[in-house]
Amino acid sequence: MSKPKVAFFDFTCCEGCQIELTNFGDTNFLELLNHIDIVEFREAMTETSDHIDIAFIEGSFSREEDRKRLEKIRERAGVVIAYGACAVTGGINALKNDRPDYKQCVYGKDAEMPHLDSQIARPISDAIKVDFEVSGCPMDKYEFLDIVSHLLHGKTPVVPNYPVCVECKRNEQICRFDEGDYCLGMIAKAGCGAKCPADGIPCEACRGFIDSPNEAALKKVLMERGNMSEKWAEKKTKMFTANLRSDAKTLGV
Amino acid sequence: MNPYFITANDFDAFVTKMSKDKKVIGPKAKKQKFVFGEIKSADHLRLDYDVTILPPKKVFTPTCQTLVTFDGDKFEGNVDNDGVILFGVHFYDIRGIDITDLLFRENNRDVNYLAKREASTIVGSNIQNVSKRSFWGSIGTSDSGPKGHDAFLTKMDGGYVLECLTQKGEDLVKFGNWSKASAAQVSEAEKINKDVMDKCSQKLSHSSSEIAEKVRNSFDNQELWSNLAEDCFSCGSCNTVCPTCYCFDVQDKWNLNQVSGMRNRYWDSCLTEDFAKVSLGAGSEENFRETRGERFRHRIMRKATYLNEKLGTPACVGCGRCSAACTADIADPVNVINKIMEV
Ligand code: SF4
Ligand code: SF4
Ligand code: SF4
Ligand code: SF4
Ligand code: SF4
Repeated sequence: MSKPKVAFFDFTCCEGCQIELTNFGDTNFLELLNHIDIVEFREAMTETSDHIDIAFIEGSFSREEDRKRLEKIRERAGVVIAYGACAVTGGINALKNDRPDYKQCVYGKDAEMPHLDSQIARPISDAIKVDFEVSGCPMDKYEFLDIVSHLLHGKTPVVPNYPVCVECKRNEQICRFDEGDYCLGMIAKAGCGAKCPADGIPCEACRGFIDSPNEAALKKVLMERGNMSEKWAEKKTKMFTANLRSDAKTLGV
Repeated sequence: MNPYFITANDFDAFVTKMSKDKKVIGPKAKKQKFVFGEIKSADHLRLDYDVTILPPKKVFTPTCQTLVTFDGDKFEGNVDNDGVILFGVHFYDIRGIDITDLLFRENNRDVNYLAKREASTIVGSNIQNVSKRSFWGSIGTSDSGPKGHDAFLTKMDGGYVLECLTQKGEDLVKFGNWSKASAAQVSEAEKINKDVMDKCSQKLSHSSSEIAEKVRNSFDNQELWSNLAEDCFSCGSCNTVCPTCYCFDVQDKWNLNQVSGMRNRYWDSCLTEDFAKVSLGAGSEENFRETRGERFRHRIMRKATYLNEKLGTPACVGCGRCSAACTADIADPVNVINKIMEV
């Protein structure tokens, strides 16, 4: 069998996930390269190849002009994988979605420059069909590998739909709430190995929500046990999961 | 088998010598909490612990356990036969191990658990500090005491009594300056272990059989269960920390070369949303415990009624770990059961 042709594309993001990918270092990354054929890498090549077996897309869909580019990628690609929080959920970019004054906040007097125009930040799946997702900000390179290796074997990757607490408890961590802190691990999708609580900091749900997050209970627990004000407890999940909340803004609204 | 006594002065030398010779797993400090971990010298051992974050079953069935490794067409079973000395286990956790022993032995013998379990020695210890959420004092009857240990250690004024119950227990005596315990020392140990039984601040207010009957009869009370589970995150922490939960999920992991890999099992949790999701084929699926209330009910049924006949006791040993681990503080069996009893 010939090696699958793989291409990387990026949209609205910091490109941190690409950096995470190259963090594989020598042996691991090179081993993966034995099994795939990279035909496009935004940093290194131009968009030339016709057919792509797997397209990896990083970044959010935040400008209508990008829809065409995404549709073109979709037409050429057998499988589309969105990787990184920005691409999967809109990620941290979606913080701006209910801040109409975001341009003034960020760019000050340059706010009205036309090239800064954008719409709300949404996941890639709002523009095109996405087959698989690699969550996280940045995404976890080992999970990325795991998903790629499943695909190379013609198998469906299994990504947990249980909360970060499951992995955190398996790690036998002391719960952030027992340290007088807060945490969002109860509604965040696991798969990262509960890294943040293991480092002594709260989970901020960078991997997105589980399928049925209990938002009302989260607000209650953040207030009662995390010592947050009602306002803060209410807004807490806007950092990474603004697009997944029950009050998320949708395109065209 | 015999009871022995060692002075407090000689005890540390015993622990250190034993841990030089064998792999000893015992309670250790992790910041302000405790975990079972490897004891390399006496100053690691914290027999004054109240409760550990995870139960000691993790020694025999680790949270992630490799069952098989494979390489192309070749595969190899991965059974860990290395016995350890599991030292300083409170009686409720020995009861937990008794329960997992029975469950992993029945029907298909689970060698991945039993090989290490049967090669190991378990030494119980008396409870010096009672954890806030525990309620082991009000669970079960006198005939549901711990059984699977090889020796039991009790701290008293001036030293420790070690009650040896098996040859494996007797074999530990050679590591320290133990002498035959006097009848007075033995009855002092008995008294200490009896007195601690009413030190829990929480209590179940009914007998196990009354609870079992009432809980089972409440099965169809939808409103009750959905109210109890209203704040549930489906996070499964109440399962993950429980000494008697034994469900696992099996997943394959491929190595980077795409040819070799391993088959692992992980502790699973019936409170999580996908636990009861099954494939119906052709891409369709069915979740037979779809709501939070149904999943919450299932755990309480499992702990208070379903297994009672098979085990001779409820499948809850009253350690209170689930109560402490639940961020929403709704998992506490004492609160839940006492509430059900009032309905
Ligand atoms: S997901 Fe995070 S790390 Fe990756 S591009 Fe977006 S902001 Fe950067
Ligand atoms: S620290 Fe966070 S992830 Fe860990 S158990 Fe507590 S709430 Fe869950
Ligand atoms: S613990 Fe939470 S914030 Fe940290 S990597 Fe995992 S999902 Fe992201
Ligand atoms: S149900 Fe709770 S109290 Fe009972 S054994 Fe399990 S963790 Fe301990
Ligand atoms: S009862 Fe508590 S610990 Fe158990 S799944 Fe629900 S929120 Fe998590």
